[in-house]
Amino acid sequence: MADYRVSIDIGGTFTDFVVYDQGRERAFTGKVLSTPDDPARGVVSGLADLIADLEGISFLVHGTTVGLNAFLERRGTRVLLITTEGFRDVYTIARGDRKKLFALQYRKPRGLVPPEDIHTVRERMLYDGSVQEPLREEDFGPIIERIEREGIDSVAVCFLYSYLNPEHELRAREILRERVPGLSVTLSHEIASEWREYERSSSAVLNAYIAPTVERYLKSLDGQLKDRGVPARLHVMQSNGGVMTAAAARELPIQTLLSGPVGGTIGGQALSRTLNRPNLLCVDMGGTSFDASLIVNGRPSVSTETELEGLPVLMSLVDIHTIGAGGGSLAYLEAGALRVGPRSAGADPGPVCYGRGGTQPTVTDANLLLGRMNPDYFLGGAMALDRAAAEREIGRVARELNLGAEELAEGMLAIINAKMAEAMRTITVEQGVDPREYSLVAFGGAGPMHAVALAEELEIGEVIVPWAPGTFSAWGMLQTDIRHDVTRTFYRPMEASVAGDLESAYTELEEQAREILRDEEVPEGRMHLLRTADMRYVGQEYFVNVELPGGGFDAETLEEIADRFHAAYRTRYGHSTPGAPVEFVNLRVAALGELERRVIGFRPPAGGGHEEVRGVVFEGERVPAKIFRRDRLPTGSGVSGPAVVEEETSTTVIPPGWRARVDELGNMIITPEEE
Amino acid sequence: MAETRTDPITTEIIRNLFLSCAEDMNATLIRSAYTPIIYEGKDCSVALLDENGDVLGQSSGLPIFLGNLEVCVKLAIEEFGLEAFRPGDVFYMNDPYLQGTHLNDSTIFAPIYHGDELVGFSATRAHWLDVGAKDPGTPMDSTEIYQEGFRWGPTRIYAGYEQREDVVDLLRRNGRFGYSLVGDMNAQVSACFTGEERFRSIVDRFGMETIRAAREEIFRQSAQLDREAVAAIPDGTYTAEGCLDNDGVGEDPVWVRVRVDVSGEEMTIDLGGSSEAARGPVNCGIAQTISACRVAYKLLINPDRPVDGGTFPTLTVRAPEGSIFHAQEPAPCGWYFTPLGLLIDLIVKALAPAVPDEAAGAHYGDSMVIYLAGLDPRKGNAPFLALEPTPGGWGAFASGDGQDGLINNVNGGFKDIPVEVYETKYPIQIRRYGFRPDSGGPGRTRGGCGLFREYRLQTDASLYLWFERSKTPAWGLEGGRDARGPQVVVRHSDGSEQTLLKVNNLPLEAGSLVTTYTGGGGGYGDPLERDPERVRRDVLAGYVTREGAERDYGVVLDEKLRVDEAATARRRRERRT
Repeated sequence: MADYRVSIDIGGTFTDFVVYDQGRERAFTGKVLSTPDDPARGVVSGLADLIADLEGISFLVHGTTVGLNAFLERRGTRVLLITTEGFRDVYTIARGDRKKLFALQYRKPRGLVPPEDIHTVRERMLYDGSVQEPLREEDFGPIIERIEREGIDSVAVCFLYSYLNPEHELRAREILRERVPGLSVTLSHEIASEWREYERSSSAVLNAYIAPTVERYLKSLDGQLKDRGVPARLHVMQSNGGVMTAAAARELPIQTLLSGPVGGTIGGQALSRTLNRPNLLCVDMGGTSFDASLIVNGRPSVSTETELEGLPVLMSLVDIHTIGAGGGSLAYLEAGALRVGPRSAGADPGPVCYGRGGTQPTVTDANLLLGRMNPDYFLGGAMALDRAAAEREIGRVARELNLGAEELAEGMLAIINAKMAEAMRTITVEQGVDPREYSLVAFGGAGPMHAVALAEELEIGEVIVPWAPGTFSAWGMLQTDIRHDVTRTFYRPMEASVAGDLESAYTELEEQAREILRDEEVPEGRMHLLRTADMRYVGQEYFVNVELPGGGFDAETLEEIADRFHAAYRTRYGHSTPGAPVEFVNLRVAALGELERRVIGFRPPAGGGHEEVRGVVFEGERVPAKIFRRDRLPTGSGVSGPAVVEEETSTTVIPPGWRARVDELGNMIITPEEE
Repeated sequence: MAETRTDPITTEIIRNLFLSCAEDMNATLIRSAYTPIIYEGKDCSVALLDENGDVLGQSSGLPIFLGNLEVCVKLAIEEFGLEAFRPGDVFYMNDPYLQGTHLNDSTIFAPIYHGDELVGFSATRAHWLDVGAKDPGTPMDSTEIYQEGFRWGPTRIYAGYEQREDVVDLLRRNGRFGYSLVGDMNAQVSACFTGEERFRSIVDRFGMETIRAAREEIFRQSAQLDREAVAAIPDGTYTAEGCLDNDGVGEDPVWVRVRVDVSGEEMTIDLGGSSEAARGPVNCGIAQTISACRVAYKLLINPDRPVDGGTFPTLTVRAPEGSIFHAQEPAPCGWYFTPLGLLIDLIVKALAPAVPDEAAGAHYGDSMVIYLAGLDPRKGNAPFLALEPTPGGWGAFASGDGQDGLINNVNGGFKDIPVEVYETKYPIQIRRYGFRPDSGGPGRTRGGCGLFREYRLQTDASLYLWFERSKTPAWGLEGGRDARGPQVVVRHSDGSEQTLLKVNNLPLEAGSLVTTYTGGGGGYGDPLERDPERVRRDVLAGYVTREGAERDYGVVLDEKLRVDEAATARRRRERRT
C-alpha cells in the first residue's frame, strides 16, 4: 500500500502541493488555483487530482492564510473585550506612540475592538500576583446580557497580572461559559503569559477575532478530508516554524497567522542540515512581495513578538522581513524621477505581458524584454506571454526619460534589486550579521531570476536554488517538528539565590510543555524541550533571548548563563558589559515533538544538454545565452553563465562570470566562475 | 570599475543608497548605544552630508532634530576652513548657542575622505543622560547655562583615527555616569565611521562626478516639489501668538509670536515680538529654532519626501538675538523644547486659513513630564527615579477627529510605560489610566482627548512636574473650540488637596495620590454641525459625557443614550441664535 507524506501551501493565487511517496522514495509537486470562497474545496480537489489513493496519506501538513486574511481584510468576528476596572482605555490608547513622525493628521492603527465594546469588571491583582480585590462576579451580569442580546460569538479577557496569577481570568471563562455555552473565550494569559497589558490584550483580541473563522475552516477541511477517506491527522504550520495538530490550532488560532511564509524558512533549515551550511539567507520573491529570513547556526531566527498592521502580537514567530517587491512591481515616474514598486499590478490585471489589460510596465515585463524569461514556457507553457506588448509599454515610459526600452528595463531591475538588497541588509547588517558569511537560498517564482544580482549587491559568494523553487515553502513544511512555546514572566535579578526558584519555574513550564505534546500524541522519546530566557542588564527595557544549558541551576551554571548573555548581547548590540548586573525577564520553553522526517531530495535525471540559445541582455549588451531545462540537468553537471535554466514554476538566471553546478539532491549551487 | 551614467536610473539608485547609508549609521548608533534614552527613546539622529555640509540622507530619529546637524558642520567649516580637516578626525560639540537644543545633546561628526579628496561628512546627534549639571539629568530651575553642565564648541576627540585620550578623559570626569557617557560617545563615533565606509563604497562604485550630478538632480527634485507647494499657498502675511505658562522659575507668561510671509515661492517665518530671553531654562539656540520651523513646514509640505539639501529651498527663519528663540550666553536652555512645541502649533495655526485641508487644531502641547523619586523599601531602600512623559490629545482636522492620547509633536517613537512594568519597577501603584472625557475641543470633527493617570505612593517620595499650556490650551480651527488644558491634583495622605503644574522636589508621604490630566486637542469646524450619531458614539466610547454632548454639541441623549432628535434640533436652533 502507498504511503504518502503530503504538504499543502495555500496562497492567495495558487495552492501548492508536495507529495513524498515514501515507498518509492520519490517526490512530486502540484499547483492548482486557490478557491478563496471555500479554501478547503481547492485543497481536497487538488489532492484528489494528484493522488489516486487518498487512503495512503499517512501525514498531512498545511499552511493556511485563512486567519491572516480574515485579519487583513477585517472580516473576523466581532469581539467583546473584558478587562480590569480603571483600565478600560488601555487597549485604545495603544501606548500613545506615533509611527509616522511628520503627520499632522495622524491616525493610530485601527484596533479590532471599538471602545464601546470594552467592558470592565472589579478585580485587581498586584505586581507579585497577590489579590488586592477579589473578582466581583456580579459585574458579569450586564456583560452577559449584552452578549446574548447582541449575539456576540467571541470574547477576549485580559486582567492585570494574569501572567502571574490566572485565577480571575480562568474564573471569568467559567462564568461566561456557564451562561453562554459555546461562546469562544480567549484568555490573555493563555495566549501570552508575559507582562505588558496592552500587548497582551492586543494579542488576545487578535486571537478572539480570528478564532471562529479559523475553527470553521479547519472543521470543514477536516470533515472533507475524512469524507474522502484520508486517514492522517491534519497538521497546521505555525508562525513559530513548527507544526501542530488541527485540534491544537483551533485552541490557538493566532499561531496560524504566518503559517504560509514560514515554510520557506523551514525548508532553508532543512537545506542547511543536508548541505552543511549553518548560515543561510533565505529569500522568497513572488508576484507582489519579497520575504527575507535567516538561518543562523542551523536554526531559524525566531522572535517573541511582532506588529501586524501596527498592532502588537506577543507570540513566538520566525523572523521574516517583508517588503513590497515582486514580479508585479510597477515602474512609474514622479517629479521626473523613476520609481519601481512598492505599487504592484497584483494578479489582476497583472504585468502587461499577461495580456489581461495591464498597461503599466512591471518587473516581469522587464525580465521578459531582456530575454531572461521564456514567453513560451511560463508555467510550463500553460500561459503565453506577450513580449511585444511588454516592449511597447516599457518603450513608452523609456521615451519620457530619453532612454531605450532595454536600457529602462535593465534600470528597473537595478532599482528593484537595490531595494531587495536593502531589505536583506536590514535583517543582516543592521542586526550585527555579516551577509558575506552566508549563502543565499532563493525560491518563489521570481527569486532565482534575481538571486545572483542580489548576491552581487551584498558580496555573497554562493547562491543555492533548490529543486522546484516555486513550491519550496510547501516542501519546507514536510521538514519540521511539532512545536509549542510556553512562557512565564520571571522578573528577578541574576544571582545565586534565584537558582531554586528558577529550577522550579522551568520544571513547571516543562511539565506544561510535556502535557501539550502528550495531547498531540508525541511519544515521550521524541519530546525535546529547549530552555531559553529573556535577559537584560538591570535598568534596561529591551531584552535578549538566551539559550540555557541543560541540567539544574547552581552558581556555576548561572555563571555560564551570564557569559552566554554577554556574548549574545555583544552580537546584537556590538558591545557588552561583563560584570554589570543582569536580570531575568521571561522564561521560555520550546516543546518540540520530533516527527518522522527524511531528507527528501528530488532525483535528478540522467541525461541533459542545453536546448537552445537566446539573446539575453546583461550590462547593456544582448549576448547569446544557453537555455537549459532544469529537469534535464543531471547531477554533477555544470552550467557557465550567461545561461538561463527554466522549469515550470521558476527561472534561474546565471549571468556572465557565474557558474552553476547541480548537486546530488538536485540543488543548483551557483558561485563565481574561477578565474 | 566606476559607472559614469547620470541618468534617472542611476540617480534613483544613488538616492536610495544615500538613504540606506543614513539608515546603517542609525542602526550602528542604536545598536551600540549604552543608555535607553537613545536605543529605546530614539533621542538621536544621524545624517550623511556632502562636502558643503548639505544633507544627502538623514534617518528618522527625534522629529525635532530635523535638519540641524548640517548647521554644526557648516559652523565648523566656517570656523576652521576646509583645509583644517584630516582623515580620521572626529569632532564633538554641545554648545546650545551653536547647535541649538541643550547641553545633554552631543553632536559628533567626521569628515569623509576618498583618497585625498574631502567628499562629505557623517554626523550624529544623541542625548547623553548627564553632563555634569547641578542636579542629575536636566535641572528644572536653572537660571544660567553654567548650572546645566559642561559646554563645548567643536573639539577634536579623534585625530588620525586615534582617540584623544586626554580630551575623552575630560568628558568622562565631568558627567555623573562617565562610563556610559563614553559608551554613547563611542556609539556615535562608530556610526560616523559606518557612514564613512559606506559613502566611500558608493564613491568607488559611481565616482564623484556621477555622484555630484545625481546629487544636483536629487536636490533639484526636492526643491522643485517644495517650490511648487509654497507657490500654491496664497501670498499674504499670516500671524498667530500664544504663551507658555511661565519659564519654570518666575510666574510671568512667555510669549511666542509668529509671522509667516508667503510671497510666490518664498516663505519667511519671523519670530520678532516673542519674549526676551527667559530667566528659567526655556530658551533655545537659533539652530534649533530653525529646525522647529522646518518641522512645522514639513508637517504641511511634502511630509513623505525624505529631507535632503534641496528641501526648504525658499524658507527663511528670523528670530531676534537675545529672544527666547535666539538664546545668547548665559541663558539656560535645559527645557528648550517646551516653547518649540507651541511654536510648531502656532505656525500651523497661522497658515491654517491658507491651507485649511492640510492643517489641524493645536495639540496638547508639551511632553508633560512627571518624575517620582525616592527609596524603594522592597529593594533594600535602593534609590528609584520613575520618569514619564505623558500623551495627550491632538487637533482635529477637516477629514477626521484628532487622536486621543498620543505623544507630543517634538517626540516620536516614545511609548507610555505599561502599568504592569511600572508597578513592578517602582513602589507606586497606578490606580486608573484612561481618557479624560470632554477634554478634547468640540468641533465638527472633535479634538482628541487628553489622558488621566492616578498614582498612589506606597512609600515617601519627591514629586517633580513640568506640565505646560494651561494659559494657551490647544485651540480649535474654523469654528472648532479650544480644548481643556492640563492639570495635576495631589491629594496628600492627610486628605488635603493641591492642584499644580510645575514643581521641583515636592516631598510627599506614602499614601498620597497624584493624578495627572493632560490637555486635549483643538476641535475643527462648528460643533453644532457634528453628526449627532457620532456624538452619541463619543459618549458610548467615553470621549464625551452626556452633559458635554448637550453643552458642547447641542446633542440631547435620553437615559438609554439614544439621540433625542427633536430636543437636539431645538437645542441646536437655540444655540445658533
